[in-house]
Amino acid sequence: MSDKVTISIKRSDPSKGEAPHFVDYEVPTQEGMVVLDAVHYIENNIDPTLSVRWNCKAARCGSCSAEVNGLPRLMCKTRVDKMGSKISIEPMRAYPVVKDLVTNVSHNWEIAKRIPPFTPKPNLPKPWKIAAIDITRSKEFRTCIECFLCQDVCHVIREHESNYLGPKHMVKVAALDMHPLDSIDRSGFLHTEGGVGFCNITKCCQNICPEGIHITDNAIIPEKERVVNEFYDPIGILIHRRKKK
Amino acid sequence: MIENRRRLNVLSELLEPNWRFWSLVLILLLSAGALFLYPVSEYQGYVDPFYSPTVLVLPFIALFRLSCYAYRKDYHRHVFRHPMACLNDERMDSSKRKYSGETGFFALNNFHRYFFYIGLAILPFFYYDFYTSMVYQSGFFIFRFGSILILANALLLTLWTISCHAFRHLIGGSVDCYSCLSHGTGVKKLFNGQSLLNRYHEQFAFVSLLVVVAVDLYIRALMAGWPVDFTFFKIAI
Repeated sequence: MSDKVTISIKRSDPSKGEAPHFVDYEVPTQEGMVVLDAVHYIENNIDPTLSVRWNCKAARCGSCSAEVNGLPRLMCKTRVDKMGSKISIEPMRAYPVVKDLVTNVSHNWEIAKRIPPFTPKPNLPKPWKIAAIDITRSKEFRTCIECFLCQDVCHVIREHESNYLGPKHMVKVAALDMHPLDSIDRSGFLHTEGGVGFCNITKCCQNICPEGIHITDNAIIPEKERVVNEFYDPIGILIHRRKKK
Repeated sequence: MIENRRRLNVLSELLEPNWRFWSLVLILLLSAGALFLYPVSEYQGYVDPFYSPTVLVLPFIALFRLSCYAYRKDYHRHVFRHPMACLNDERMDSSKRKYSGETGFFALNNFHRYFFYIGLAILPFFYYDFYTSMVYQSGFFIFRFGSILILANALLLTLWTISCHAFRHLIGGSVDCYSCLSHGTGVKKLFNGQSLLNRYHEQFAFVSLLVVVAVDLYIRALMAGWPVDFTFFKIAI
């Protein structure tokens, strides 16, 4: 590993009308250094006006999401020695930039409000009890740290205009749908408002998830299959309607 | 330059040098030619996998493959380039082209489970081919290299078929409350077991496809007189 690495950061300040441009910084390297360390070095020693959002530096809070060498990653979980001698860092492209590496991800809260909330089955005896066998599937989804990397890497969100919720929210819907005490079927919502048909299963979200959640295999595809039950499979539709009666 | 490219429509996109798309078209044309103009249905007990049970079911098997979640990922990425890669799209290539995902023509993929049923029904025929390849001479049991290939083909097709996502949904993926079912523990165990296989669904999908082609080529090589028919043993019964 060389003694120095060039960090190329996409800087911009829309509030001052500053257009996005790359600025190169020479940063001395250390054993075990992560990209966020390099950004901190720049902030503390070279240019204190650099803005970056971070919090735990332990891949738990999901704050330091950025595009490192073109791929969405957590900066605190990306080692400098694995990224080459010149590393580019850009803010997440799917969201509007606040300043430098800080993006406004509040659109996600608007999407979250659209999802039909947890609605318990009527007349459940209290306290609510859930068998261990029933929590294993949705437990995986609870490990989501809301870094929004999956939303950022999703080409449907980033490159096309559609009403698709995005992978992070599909995980939320799957967690609610697979909850043993929930009484709502969200297939109708996903098929129409949720735009699940726009997902073409290309699995980038699953590939980059820092928590290793099998987003496509365990959340999106099962939800797509539920939509098939409700809207495409004639036998499934008959069974579903009979169950409803 | 970018603004000019933005105006391109889907048709003109096909006229771009998209070597992935055109090489796929070429492979499909050559394969169709080989299958229909030069059919090799059977050679000394070896039944060609494309003719098992009959070449007429081939369109359904093709649709089973094309609507499979593993292949969907790959043709959307590598043939239609939505997306080109998970990396950010510097060329703005994907965003300039029309995209409807699986809401338009590709909504047909939602019928995958019906092609799965057909695939499941055809599976026993591949094991029957394995049996036939050993007893095709009356009074003898013959074990040859080709039988191993045919068995490997049958096993891989089985693994690919039963690791299917649609099957995963049908055998327990649609259940939200396992403890509410009288046989819930069994259903969950079945679901967990199938999920282990499902993790390797993409690998099974591609290896099984390669082996189907390999068996076909092997039988064609035998027909052409290549000395590759190795017999391990032959017993009179």
